[in-house]
Amino acid sequence: MRVRSSMAGLLAVLVAASFAGPLAAQRDTQSGTISIVIGAEPTLPFPGLSLAKANMDVASLLFLPLARLGRQFITSDEKTYEPALARSWRRTDSLTLVFELDPRARWHDGKPVTPRDVIWSVNRSRDSTISPTYALLLRNIASVTATGEREVTFRFRQAYGDQIFDATAFAVPLPAHLLDTIPPDRLAASIYARQPVGNGPYRWGKLEAGRQLELNAVPDFFLGTPKLHRVVFLIVRAAEAQLNLVLDGTADAYEASLLPRQITPIVEQPSLDIKTQSSFSVGYLLFNQKAFGDRSTPHPILADRAVRQALLLGIDRQRLVRAVFGPYASVVDGPMGQATWIRRHTPKGPGYDPAAARRLLAAQGWRDSNGDGVLDKNGTKLSLRLSYPGTSTARVGMAEPIQAMLRQIGVEVELLRLDGPVWAERRAKGEFDIDFSQATLMPTPAGLVQSWSCASSGGGSNVGSICSPGFDEAYKEAARTGGRAAADRWRDAIGELQQDYPAVFLYSPAQALVVHRRYRNVSIRPDGTWTDLWRWSVDPSQRIARDQR
Amino acid sequence: MALVGRPLPTDRAGSALGGVLRWLIRRLLQAAATFAVVAVLLFVLMRLAPGDPLARLTDDRPVAPAERARLEAIFGLDQPIGTQLTKFLSAAARGDFGVSIEYYPLRVGELVQNRLGPSLLLGLTVLLVNVTLGVWLGVLQARRRGSRLDRWLTRISLAGYAAPSFWLALMLVSLFAIKWRILPAAQMTDPLLPTDAGWLTRAGDLLAHLVLPTVTLSVVTLAATMRYQRSAMLEVLRLDFVRAAYARGLDERTVIWRHAWRNALFPVLTLLGLWLPVLVSGAVFVESVFNWPGLGSLAAGAIATRDYPVLMATSLLVSGAVLLGGVLTDLAYQALDPRTRAG
Repeated sequence: MRVRSSMAGLLAVLVAASFAGPLAAQRDTQSGTISIVIGAEPTLPFPGLSLAKANMDVASLLFLPLARLGRQFITSDEKTYEPALARSWRRTDSLTLVFELDPRARWHDGKPVTPRDVIWSVNRSRDSTISPTYALLLRNIASVTATGEREVTFRFRQAYGDQIFDATAFAVPLPAHLLDTIPPDRLAASIYARQPVGNGPYRWGKLEAGRQLELNAVPDFFLGTPKLHRVVFLIVRAAEAQLNLVLDGTADAYEASLLPRQITPIVEQPSLDIKTQSSFSVGYLLFNQKAFGDRSTPHPILADRAVRQALLLGIDRQRLVRAVFGPYASVVDGPMGQATWIRRHTPKGPGYDPAAARRLLAAQGWRDSNGDGVLDKNGTKLSLRLSYPGTSTARVGMAEPIQAMLRQIGVEVELLRLDGPVWAERRAKGEFDIDFSQATLMPTPAGLVQSWSCASSGGGSNVGSICSPGFDEAYKEAARTGGRAAADRWRDAIGELQQDYPAVFLYSPAQALVVHRRYRNVSIRPDGTWTDLWRWSVDPSQRIARDQR
Repeated sequence: MALVGRPLPTDRAGSALGGVLRWLIRRLLQAAATFAVVAVLLFVLMRLAPGDPLARLTDDRPVAPAERARLEAIFGLDQPIGTQLTKFLSAAARGDFGVSIEYYPLRVGELVQNRLGPSLLLGLTVLLVNVTLGVWLGVLQARRRGSRLDRWLTRISLAGYAAPSFWLALMLVSLFAIKWRILPAAQMTDPLLPTDAGWLTRAGDLLAHLVLPTVTLSVVTLAATMRYQRSAMLEVLRLDFVRAAYARGLDERTVIWRHAWRNALFPVLTLLGLWLPVLVSGAVFVESVFNWPGLGSLAAGAIATRDYPVLMATSLLVSGAVLLGGVLTDLAYQALDPRTRAG
């Protein structure tokens, strides 16, 4: 709690007089509070029902998976995973993975975590009537059985590299003893959903709808006592208010995609620090290979691979990304964020070469027949619409420079700055020529199948109707391969995708955290920003009133 | 006393009351009809407006078509618009606005109930500032017409009126909350206030959080109140009955506040009637900037995410407040000015 000396004397007296008691409270060296700004209400803060970030952020403090990805985030390397609910795991054959649960693991109501919880949770997630998305992600798990008092055995339908990732990331255990009597379709509206019982370092405290959520540390958490005894999530939608709450000291931490011009007020506050980390997010210009809003007809311009290649050559990605993000993003050559482990193995894409772009277009018959600076062919102007959401500062900042760069090679670009939901709707319907997309992807490259394979073309998230048989073939080979050896196979697959020029891959923004300097051991993870929060602590010499228990 | 039907010639008071009642019933029926039309129009227009209401639920992550179909079924979005409208009207008549899309599985009624209090608190505080300070300054200006004070107050009020509220809000936060740190930047209360904090602490904390949003909203509305009150007062001060009051030897305070001001209230009453929706819904932008947990920020979020059920509930609440504001203003006119009385 912070004493605010108000402009009015009366306020100062009122506040100071009544704050004196709490300030005098006995100091506790093993305590600390953190208030975190989040942008939406965590309405379903447990695994397996919602993919919304606010829910996943809170769930990561309440629930543990069987194991966590190691710091290199190599999804197919079983040896690099870190124990969580499971203290060990072993492989009996190429289709079988056995996890041994940590006997110390407990639910917040005191009951032990058992194989029954794991089995119930996996089976629930595999039920397509409950969550078709999770059912799809877990389609390769054939069965889960208890093979001992503390042992759970996963059987897979086929041998592939990401078996352990599927078993640990998409089927986080829930308490079967509390949930098996609730019909699946009632879970979201149940009392449990309003006060989830988890097994993680923090337990549910109190939710004030639309305002804040408080979590309290589990003192006997089996992996170690959390150093911060209280976590308060402040629910703040407006971007201005989010930053202002950190700047005025009400909030202690705020996760954001930072742009250079937003940095100034933060660095002017000596109490604040900026921590950055690679992310799984990626921004790109997606070419629609079917006609605007008509998935039965090839796009009159973008169906031509050479035109797509020319558009890539005509954009100076380095300059663009540096101008908008400064040091807080890097240029990417494929649909992977900075943190994706195969990114290091991605073939380098072509650089900025407007002369080559013009030559390519000329070779395809595009000429400026009327001297207006825009190329045309058979009466069709080389004119495209670029759609992007007006709520994304980065994309808004990049749209005009992209327009200007493409104009240099004779391509006219009409900018369609859209309201967020309108942009999402048009994107889903294929009503765009070029879509300025940004997505936070899963850590596994196996997830690429959803947006870039022929199987998903025109449906789901493959809104650009991308189909490269070469990529699909190489993808299957890469997904089958386990361990670090998969890296070469993934390089081949991404190379095949690049050769099809389905998009201009632009940037992967850094995950940035603005945080008060009184915290120690601060670390964030791209697969769950707050996962390691229980290891943070407050520097005893910088403890403030609200850090007292 | 006859309240309905032709009044007896000898019962003048009853006749007047009956007239007012008939007028009120007619007025309320008109308001109800308008409200119903507004409800249907709002519903249809919202559904016709482009935008995917389910986009926010998935945070742009890949979602299987079956998952999407499941979500559409939960919120009834898979039904034809006519069916949706019928179901909505039938449920709304029972006070049930369904489940919020963004806050799923929370019910809209619960959300609105939680947000109404903070909005009313902010709205009433702004109204209080207006009624007291705005009216007093307007009267003061009229009394000192042409003076240096009048000119300065005119300039300041016009500057306040012209200042965009979003700019003003950001400036106030930048100075008072971030630079000088004497007031909080946002929220209605300190989220980390100890649970055992006394009522004095809580009241002080609430007041401190109330200052900046109130000032932001008041600066604009105060200017309007002052201008209306000043010109109405100037009109009245020229009338014979005011001169007569002075001639009878009454002191200035009595003449101004007991005689003149009462007759100069009508334009301000109209203005206050128009502000009733603001009182209920808050100012959308101001609530967003200050993260004030009221109906305005709820509505702003619902617009951004196309949360149809929440948007319908908040819009209808504001529509109801507009209609109610009109009825109350007319009633106040009737109470204060016999010439406007019905019957």
